[in-house]
Amino acid sequence: MSGETATGEGPTEALDRARSLLLRYRVPVGLVLVVLLLRPVISHPLLLGYEAVAATILIWMVFVAAFNLLFGYAGLLSFGHAMFLGFGMYAAAIGVSGRAGAPELPFPVAAAVGIAVAATVGYLLGRLTVEKGEIYFAFLTLAVAQAVEFTANRNPLNLTGGSNGVTQNVLPGFVESTRGQLVVVFTGLEIDWYWFVSAVFLVAMLALWQIVRSPFGRSLVAIRENGDLARAMGINTTRYKVQAFTISAAFSALAGSVLMIDRYGASQETLSVITSGDTVLMAVLGGVRYFFGPVAGVFVWQFTEEFLNEFEVLHLGFTSVDLSGVLTHWQFFLGALFVVLVVVAPLEGIWGYLRDWVRDLYVRVKGVAE
Amino acid sequence: MSDTADAATGTADDGEPTDAGREADTMPSPDPAVDPTTAALATDGLRRTFGEVTAVDRVSLGVERGELRAIIGPNGAGKTTLFNTIMGTLPPTDGRVFLDGQDVTERDEHERPHLGLARSFQSNELFEEQTVLENVRVVVQTSRRGAFSFDLFRDHRSVGRERALELLDTVGLDALPSTLAKNLSHGDQRRLGIAMALATDPEVLLLDEPTSGMSPGATTATANLIEEIRDELGLTVVLIEHDMDVVLSISDRISVLNRGSLIATGPPEEIQANDAVQDAYLGGMREEL
Repeated sequence: MSGETATGEGPTEALDRARSLLLRYRVPVGLVLVVLLLRPVISHPLLLGYEAVAATILIWMVFVAAFNLLFGYAGLLSFGHAMFLGFGMYAAAIGVSGRAGAPELPFPVAAAVGIAVAATVGYLLGRLTVEKGEIYFAFLTLAVAQAVEFTANRNPLNLTGGSNGVTQNVLPGFVESTRGQLVVVFTGLEIDWYWFVSAVFLVAMLALWQIVRSPFGRSLVAIRENGDLARAMGINTTRYKVQAFTISAAFSALAGSVLMIDRYGASQETLSVITSGDTVLMAVLGGVRYFFGPVAGVFVWQFTEEFLNEFEVLHLGFTSVDLSGVLTHWQFFLGALFVVLVVVAPLEGIWGYLRDWVRDLYVRVKGVAE
Repeated sequence: MSDTADAATGTADDGEPTDAGREADTMPSPDPAVDPTTAALATDGLRRTFGEVTAVDRVSLGVERGELRAIIGPNGAGKTTLFNTIMGTLPPTDGRVFLDGQDVTERDEHERPHLGLARSFQSNELFEEQTVLENVRVVVQTSRRGAFSFDLFRDHRSVGRERALELLDTVGLDALPSTLAKNLSHGDQRRLGIAMALATDPEVLLLDEPTSGMSPGATTATANLIEEIRDELGLTVVLIEHDMDVVLSISDRISVLNRGSLIATGPPEEIQANDAVQDAYLGGMREEL
């Protein structure tokens, strides 16, 4: 490589190399851009005008990306993924608060317990369900998730707090809440909660990206595309699916543990079938065939929810229209967008459209330039 | 496993006398020449039923190392079911499958490619949304890393790419590595299927109608490719084929299947001259023969 440079490399070759490098590492670059741009963009006065949801959105992106490892890459539609988010959330909340005689644990340990529980449940449930066929898999995961929610509601050993959830003493020592803002205090440094979440986001998303680009990830794609062929070509489809389920569950719990701090506790509604359903919808909305699909889907979903909820009066210069009554039904508008997308292109999603659009634009601009 | 012990006691690995063994004694096998313990691929009394229907009926087949064997028979004779039973796609109702003298009947389908047994499909089974190169590369990867591998830290492009390109060259798809598999022509898709089967690094290759739907020119090219695979790669090839020109020109021996039963096995000229085959089973194919 350096030899080539020494013998005199034209500017075009250098540019080509830079471009191929950028193409190869476009996912890490894109993830950094998401972190850098998300907060300034949504806190722009014309959009939300406040930044508190930015961290929440990043956490949801990790969760839906973990879900999509299973759905988009391995082709398994779980309708009960909220339980894995919940394992992380509840383990972190119970561990940190040390309620009802539970041992008081530092946050990383409590989170690790939640991840381990999620991975174990994912593994065992996977062993039982991955070969059962699509519909059965969806229903079995849904049923188990319902059982988990029911259990949390019954408040076993007074651990889960029933329908109130776990909300007392749930902030770990290194997180402080001042004027409703979370701050991470680390060896005397005060770090914005957003940057702490960004670090978790980058580590988790890069790990997921490495998984999908690894030989392991390509085996998952082969299984999704044609399971019978994959088996005939020597791929142990069952083991791959079970491991994908396990990994997906673990990353979901990781997101759950951080979400616990962000939401000041574990709530029972997180475990509900609505959360599981929203997860599927966000992934499909964004585009399940793309790594950035869940990122786009979560952004559009969460932003729209927040924006339409806050939006009250439309100023048109000469007159103002009060829309707050209509727009609180934000699900209706998102639902309409969702229906249009699924009818037009179920696998492409918003991200697929954006990609095609940018590609067309690039081709056109290049055409004009030449 | 020990050949002498088996020969002496006449029992299978697990020590129980097998029904298949006894049936083979009472009923002369139409393919008696090959001993299952020395053949590259052998079946012993292989049977597969679907409810009341017997699709494969006590087929005992022995294919020698390096042989190119064609399996012919009318539609519905059970040829593809025989392949599916040999590959483990369908578990046999009865009977055994031997690969290189080893009983593989109980092995999972996904294990067989790693034991040296691979197949192509009658319909074009592909990873359709993936590129031609990736279709082959993922099989090379599987062949090298095993049926399951936690290979999480590498870039997939660094595993098996060169070998996959070589195989595309072998089957004549080297000009199309980045085409999506679904966009290939029918004939190219069939060739891609052969490349994927070869990517498992097999010793015995089962090809299910490799020339179906091909133009005469492409059929000849594929027939040459199959001979090349046998001669240059030294593989044992079992071929289901309807094109009698291909069958007669390239196969060493032909097995005739009818209503699930093997009714004759022999070199092409012997099968052509076989009255039983002519009269009872090949009806419509007589002119072609």
